[in-house]
Amino acid sequence: MEITGKKKTPIGKIILWIALIFVAIIQIFPLIWLLDFSLASSNEMFTNGLLIIPEKIQWGNYVKAFVDGNFIHYLKNSLLINGLAVVLVVLISIMAAFACLRMHWKLNGLVKTLLLMGMMIPIHATLLPNYKIYSTLHMTDTIWALLIPYVAFSLPQGLFLMTSFMSAIPVELEEAAVMDGCGIYRIIFQIITPMLKASIATVSIMTFLNNWNEFMMASTYLSSPKWKTLPFSVLEFTGQYSSNYAVQFAVMALTAAPAVLIYIVLNKHITKGVAMGAVKG
Amino acid sequence: MKAKWWSVALTAAMVTGLMSGATIYASAEEPVTLKVFSNLPDRKNGQGLVEQMIIDEYMEENPNVTIEVEALDEEAYKTKFKAYAMEGMPDVVNIWGQPSFLDEVLEAGVLAELNEDDYADYKFIEGSLEGFKKDGKLYGLPRNTDVAVFYYNQKMFEDNGWSVPSTYDELLELGKTITEAGMTPVAMDGGDGWPMAVYLSDLLYKITGDYKETVANAVANGDFSDEAFAQATQLLKDAADAGLFQVGYDSQDYGTAMNLFTNGQAAMFYMGSWETSMALNEDIPEEIRTNIRVFTMPTVTDGAASATDIEAWNGGGYAVSASSEVKDEAIKFLNFMYQPDKLSKYGWENGVGMSAQDQTDYMTGEETELMKQIVEIVTNATSVSGTPVNDCGPSAFKTSIESEIQSVSNGTIDVDTFLGNIGTACK
Repeated sequence: MEITGKKKTPIGKIILWIALIFVAIIQIFPLIWLLDFSLASSNEMFTNGLLIIPEKIQWGNYVKAFVDGNFIHYLKNSLLINGLAVVLVVLISIMAAFACLRMHWKLNGLVKTLLLMGMMIPIHATLLPNYKIYSTLHMTDTIWALLIPYVAFSLPQGLFLMTSFMSAIPVELEEAAVMDGCGIYRIIFQIITPMLKASIATVSIMTFLNNWNEFMMASTYLSSPKWKTLPFSVLEFTGQYSSNYAVQFAVMALTAAPAVLIYIVLNKHITKGVAMGAVKG
Repeated sequence: MKAKWWSVALTAAMVTGLMSGATIYASAEEPVTLKVFSNLPDRKNGQGLVEQMIIDEYMEENPNVTIEVEALDEEAYKTKFKAYAMEGMPDVVNIWGQPSFLDEVLEAGVLAELNEDDYADYKFIEGSLEGFKKDGKLYGLPRNTDVAVFYYNQKMFEDNGWSVPSTYDELLELGKTITEAGMTPVAMDGGDGWPMAVYLSDLLYKITGDYKETVANAVANGDFSDEAFAQATQLLKDAADAGLFQVGYDSQDYGTAMNLFTNGQAAMFYMGSWETSMALNEDIPEEIRTNIRVFTMPTVTDGAASATDIEAWNGGGYAVSASSEVKDEAIKFLNFMYQPDKLSKYGWENGVGMSAQDQTDYMTGEETELMKQIVEIVTNATSVSGTPVNDCGPSAFKTSIESEIQSVSNGTIDVDTFLGNIGTACK
């Protein structure tokens, strides 16, 4: 009683609010800054203040980003590649988690550990060897050159979250399903999957955000504009010595928008997902 | 059942992917595809625009040729260049005629040898091909002539009664006067490392009069104990100590430094001659852009070089891949680019700096004062330094000197430690 009573005092509430607003400002400020700078001209950018009040709002930056930056084409590629990567990662991680956790076979523990060890491999170390492999298989400059590493590098994390979630689901549920005559695929997709909603959201958003801004692999494995993704759009405005910063800010604002949007939509689930995963993991 | 269906679908998708990835090359008479790998991602401005103009022109004149450009910024370009070096280069590539880049590339044997006699009429400035040669064989052609200069605001100088310094001591003295007047003397891009390394090279050149051999020996032995290095580093440190550069110069980047100057907050800006296009840039207030002038590094006490011995070099350029399946067409395109009325002329018209070829034929008389001044500096030069020190050694040395130079200029490490560290990086 006393504790709950204390929490409700107005002073405590005010302090809590101030602290939360402070954190929120720190979190949101970069986005505001990004928007602010994307509407200024390159020359106004180097003033001393944190934010600039543009003399004239430069919507032209966005027009340039769209037209000269090939924005629509790159956006289409980014959405397709990231969408496919998310679907594949979720699908494979659910199936792999089930196989390693619920099915009894000799090497299930070892396979799980091996897959999780993938988290320790730095992406940059694989850059040149992978390039050589793709080149031998004539797979550079195709959608697979991006899709395969994107899925591969997101999979360990996905598997990790999925297994910790799945272990929280009572085995009795599956036993009941088997009693009622359920096959293995129906158990996974009709019984287990609906219960993993929170972790699916978490894995989706993590995979999406990880790969959305990825540039190093994309720049190495792709050469023609056919499958290039959004980060290349920023590059179109990079000069030999100095760059058109204002338009780059506009491109970055446009690039960030879908990611922010997806985060807002899935936000409720991800918080729940990470918290639950942390307890059980 | 579901599993089988999935595996069939995946296999089918993989096979289609594999097939679309294969590239088909054609012989010279039939349609030819030339792949150009460029370090100029911005195709609408500056040097990138010039390159694209020539490519478009070539495709128009040769309807059977399609040129595909892949452009990345410098860092990503160099990473991918390594990948290509393993598995076959695009046909025409950008290179840098400097040991830090070219030595490793030529060792891998990925560039085609060019016939130097072909370029007798191309009016290359004397000595500009040297950086692109190995054992007397030519592997690439230079694109620009770069000169290290101090840009200054002439009107600001006149209004305040300042004059262009003729010795290094005068420069430091002028710096103090400008600081007292409440302005920044020199805007310096210290965050990137290389502009300060060029500044150091400039001083070294003024001290020695010719540093090629000294630097080559120092790099080969990993020993920078030669007195001249210590002297040049000390002069750089003196400048930083005297407050010649803006506050926080060691962490501010190119754009920040340049804007200090173009906004009129700094009286001078130390940079390469490629920024002469500032005089044409309408984003810069007219009062400032029409008043930009240049001078080169003033002489130092007891230095061997005179005022007209300048820090200048030929950096970037083009080369053809040794493994190209359309090598003849690639060399034809390379030669087309270097016809004196292409790279040189377009570059000049677009104000992207000096080319490595004789440009005097394209002077229209309507150039900005700034452009004329740069041409004059180059024409009157009694000798040029060649590659700046940071590009004279292996890439580990380049990385080391460009990061340590900030520490030595701001006093975090002393001169001897700096010289020791860059020496170690050579080994």
